[in-house]
Amino acid sequence: MQGIIFDIQPYAVHDGPGIRTLVFIKGCPLRCAWCCNPESQHPLPQLRYRVARCTGCRACLSRCTRQVLTWNGQEIVRNFAICLSCEEKSCVEGCSYGALATAGRVMNADEVVEIVARDIAFYRNSDGGVTFSGGEPLVQSDFLYEMLRLCRERGIHTAVETCGSLPEEAFRKILPVTDLFLYDLKVIDDSLHRKYTGHGSRRILRNLAFLAREGATITVRVPLIHGITDTEDNLSAIVDVMHRNGLQRIMPEPGHSLGKSKYAEFGIRDPMPHQPDCPIDSYERALALFDRAGLVIETAW
Amino acid sequence: MDNQSIPLVRREITGKPSGNRSKFFKQRYLESPLMVDIEYIRHLTAAYRQTDGMETLERRATCHARALANLTPVIHAQDTLAGNKTRFIRGAIPYANYAAEPFLKEMRKEEQDAQSKHAEQGSGGGIGTARAVAEEQGLRLVSGKFLISSSDYDEFREICEYWEEKSFQAQGDRLWKTHFEGADFIRDGWKIGLYTAPHEPCPEGRLILDYETALNKGYDTIISETEARIKAFRPGQSSGHSPLRFWKAALTVLKGALQFAKNYASEATRMAGREKDPARKAELREIAETCLRVPAEPPRNFREAIQSFWFTYLLGHIEGSHLGYSPGRLDMVLRPWYENDPTMTLGQAIPLFEELFVKMTQIEYIASLSWQGLGHGNLYQNLILGGSDENGNPASSEVSMAILHAQINVQMTQPTLSVWWDDRLEPNFLMKAAECVKTGVGYPAFFNQSTYLRHEMATSGLPAELIRKHCAIGGCTEPTLQGMAYGIVQAGFINHGKLIDLVVNGGVDPETGIRMFEARRLNSYEEIRQYYLDLMNIAVRNWQRYWNWAMIAHRETVPLIFCSVFVNDCLGRGKCMDDGGAVLNHSVTTLSSGLVNVTNSLAVVRRLCFDEKVCTPGELFEAVRNNWQDHDALRRKALDIPHWGNDDDSVDEIFLDLFNEYCHCVRAERNYLGEPYDPSMLAISTPVPFGRVCGAFPDVRLKGEPLADGVTSPFPGTDTQGPTAVIRSSSKVDHTRIRGGLLNLKFHPTALKGETGSKNLLALIKTYFESPGFQVQFNVVDSRMLRDAQEHPENYRDLVVRVAGFSAYWVEMSKALQDQVIWRTEHNL
Repeated sequence: MQGIIFDIQPYAVHDGPGIRTLVFIKGCPLRCAWCCNPESQHPLPQLRYRVARCTGCRACLSRCTRQVLTWNGQEIVRNFAICLSCEEKSCVEGCSYGALATAGRVMNADEVVEIVARDIAFYRNSDGGVTFSGGEPLVQSDFLYEMLRLCRERGIHTAVETCGSLPEEAFRKILPVTDLFLYDLKVIDDSLHRKYTGHGSRRILRNLAFLAREGATITVRVPLIHGITDTEDNLSAIVDVMHRNGLQRIMPEPGHSLGKSKYAEFGIRDPMPHQPDCPIDSYERALALFDRAGLVIETAW
Repeated sequence: MDNQSIPLVRREITGKPSGNRSKFFKQRYLESPLMVDIEYIRHLTAAYRQTDGMETLERRATCHARALANLTPVIHAQDTLAGNKTRFIRGAIPYANYAAEPFLKEMRKEEQDAQSKHAEQGSGGGIGTARAVAEEQGLRLVSGKFLISSSDYDEFREICEYWEEKSFQAQGDRLWKTHFEGADFIRDGWKIGLYTAPHEPCPEGRLILDYETALNKGYDTIISETEARIKAFRPGQSSGHSPLRFWKAALTVLKGALQFAKNYASEATRMAGREKDPARKAELREIAETCLRVPAEPPRNFREAIQSFWFTYLLGHIEGSHLGYSPGRLDMVLRPWYENDPTMTLGQAIPLFEELFVKMTQIEYIASLSWQGLGHGNLYQNLILGGSDENGNPASSEVSMAILHAQINVQMTQPTLSVWWDDRLEPNFLMKAAECVKTGVGYPAFFNQSTYLRHEMATSGLPAELIRKHCAIGGCTEPTLQGMAYGIVQAGFINHGKLIDLVVNGGVDPETGIRMFEARRLNSYEEIRQYYLDLMNIAVRNWQRYWNWAMIAHRETVPLIFCSVFVNDCLGRGKCMDDGGAVLNHSVTTLSSGLVNVTNSLAVVRRLCFDEKVCTPGELFEAVRNNWQDHDALRRKALDIPHWGNDDDSVDEIFLDLFNEYCHCVRAERNYLGEPYDPSMLAISTPVPFGRVCGAFPDVRLKGEPLADGVTSPFPGTDTQGPTAVIRSSSKVDHTRIRGGLLNLKFHPTALKGETGSKNLLALIKTYFESPGFQVQFNVVDSRMLRDAQEHPENYRDLVVRVAGFSAYWVEMSKALQDQVIWRTEHNL
């Protein structure tokens, strides 16, 4: 069973309890305006170009098998669509400076799990495990299921981060092999949600209710994007959803602009180039609101 | 991850002194200039001048005792503990009796040796104050940073001239230069940076005295016991050696030591007489009473126990020019005094420790300029907490907690705290230790007791109960047995990076052109590997043998008599440590630095030249000799090859192979006490000066860049798989085969945040120590804070960071060392 992974990060301590390994699966149905991992959105491997590392040697031009790359006097110019469809990406090998790289590669499920299992002693001693993230891990649900199953077999605690905007079928499939869901709630209002992410919120809320009914262990994650998700209305609506579903654990995540440079590096248009960082007082107001509502706040596990 | 937009992270744990008095002590220390105090060496030298013809031990004891008795007792404002090594807050004794030449060289403005050129010093803090004062008041500087008055300077010069031919270094030099056939190799080795420069000015170290006995018996009892031994002695009972000399010398120094304490009692009484503030008057009276009682008699309460410990500690420190002299298991030693003192509480113990730790930090030392660049003024006073008692039960206590609290509060660079890891240690103790790590001060380092247990049982055959009870760290990371081990006098380090230079350049040093070894045809990987190993063997062997010759002079010039009294079983055997009086004489180590770079370099050679045949060894070495210029593609390929620290067997097995060869090589030679040399590895801050003298390496390191630090720490930038992979690599090394080990991990504060962050840190250590790993230390710091501290040192006067086996004040570190700490890979999230 194969799928496309774009990163595996060890010693992850903010995505579930204990010491964990974070596996990033490529592809996402949403297009959140504030996305900090833009390379996670498209399901196929993508070319990354970091101009700061480029020395202008132009060795990549002759390596290109599609005659697409050019040099405009200052930097390399790509063609997004053609580079995307190019499987070999030979230009990357030709770069001696790490300016060209690929995000995403095909891996086998057991190959991934072998890597995850290397830290099994650390998981054991810290009550840690593996967390699947992305993108949206359920976009490759068979692949995800297989990896979860193999991890479970080895006694590794499994967690899945999800945006929730998928058919219920996908959740049903992985539920038996998932110990913990880190479930994103962004904007409750349906049309506002659609405006900022490309999808409405109804299916997301239905899937949350489904998981809650099935007794899944869930922590809700709320990205605090200033002026959009951190309004009092939205936060109160999130609290309502949680109460209705009998959920208690919530993890507010202050928004940041750390991934902004990656838009240009991957040739993707940044829909929100001037995203403000989440101010401290907004974060503290959110904490206070959740606390008053009787929720259990996870700041760092 | 691009962290341009993260605001500077405030430290999660910050400490502050528990009260005004501790705050005052710390502030006073931070504001004091570095001073030279020649009082001790003045009296010692005067006594030596009058005792020509006396037998060695007797002379040493007599002169040292006379000096002790004549030292001016100084009790500084608000001190409640009496006793200082010098008259100044930050003062150093220049031990001309150990080595006069480095001082004379400086004074004669002779050309500094090659390595002093490469040495760097910091320029902030007390160093800056000394220089500013020197300029202002027309005083003079010694060793670039210590202040001395003109008249003292002239007198000291005369003292040095007395010792010029008589010092330990001078006599040692005559021996090896005359008798050792490898003398030229050593001289050349210094010139090219294969070895650290001789640090005879401060070679004593790794010594921990038997404080338990000192406290329990008191000096009066030890004196009467020794007198009884002398009375009972009949000549002809032992073969040749007469213990009388040592016992009589012991009596002389013990009496001198008691006089030292009594002088403080007199001074306190005198000050009390003149003191107007009734509270302070009462304190001074109490000091006087305490100093009349200890260390002559056992203490009656916890406060007296600390004063008694401090006297013995100090007296041992004064006798030798120490680096690595340590307090050892102080929490275990003081525990009975704490628990049996009904008036003592945690809240009262903490300020006592704060004062003690400021005093320990106030001890300074002077060495040659080149050694300053290595040790950065650090005295490696290692206090190790926790562990287990002789029965194997976890041994942390409220005293351990008080010590942790105290250092979290004041964050002094001394003592450097350590923890003997045991799974069953109290969780609140371990969490407190994690909290201390998170202050960013760089300690405690964690040590795997079971690894050392196995090493010591295999090396010396001593029983497990003994090792468990007495095991402690002397200096940075070398384990030894408290109160019963020979205190290692250290030769210095071997630079394995320079061996890479020699391999790449056919046996010739590229910087100086000196030929160290014959050239060889290198056509296969095995031949290259063997060439390195043969060079390594010669470098190690010559270093060991040179030092064996030099150390003959130790017993003739600077035997540590007072210290030997408190090392078992010197009194019982009637022999000082130099003569084998200690129970453990296997602790003499050979130290090396740079094995990770050799590993990575050989891995690159094997993969590029032989597995993938991308280039020939000749082509690769050519590129390296040109500092990789115009070879970017090749360098990229070398960088992509797995390096040490990523849990990749193809490169890790090379480390294990070299490690194995190194251990065999070291053990094959006997030390000057007749036992096999014990292999060890250490770096302190040698990666910087060692790297500076080396050309580029096949592992992609560029010319002049620092080497990898520690023992198993990856080369910065080449560990790409996170801290768990670094630990997995390091876990493969069987540390039971060496006396030491050091793994340095750097974390961004957010990676360890909160209670869970502490638990994860402890889980990391626990997992590592399930393997025969030995040591791990943490630097928890935001590199942006460090860069800010470089720009605005005035805002960071008390910032302490971990360097190697020690922590240092940021502002007193050289820029090169600061850069190295920043550069070390951050495990960032």
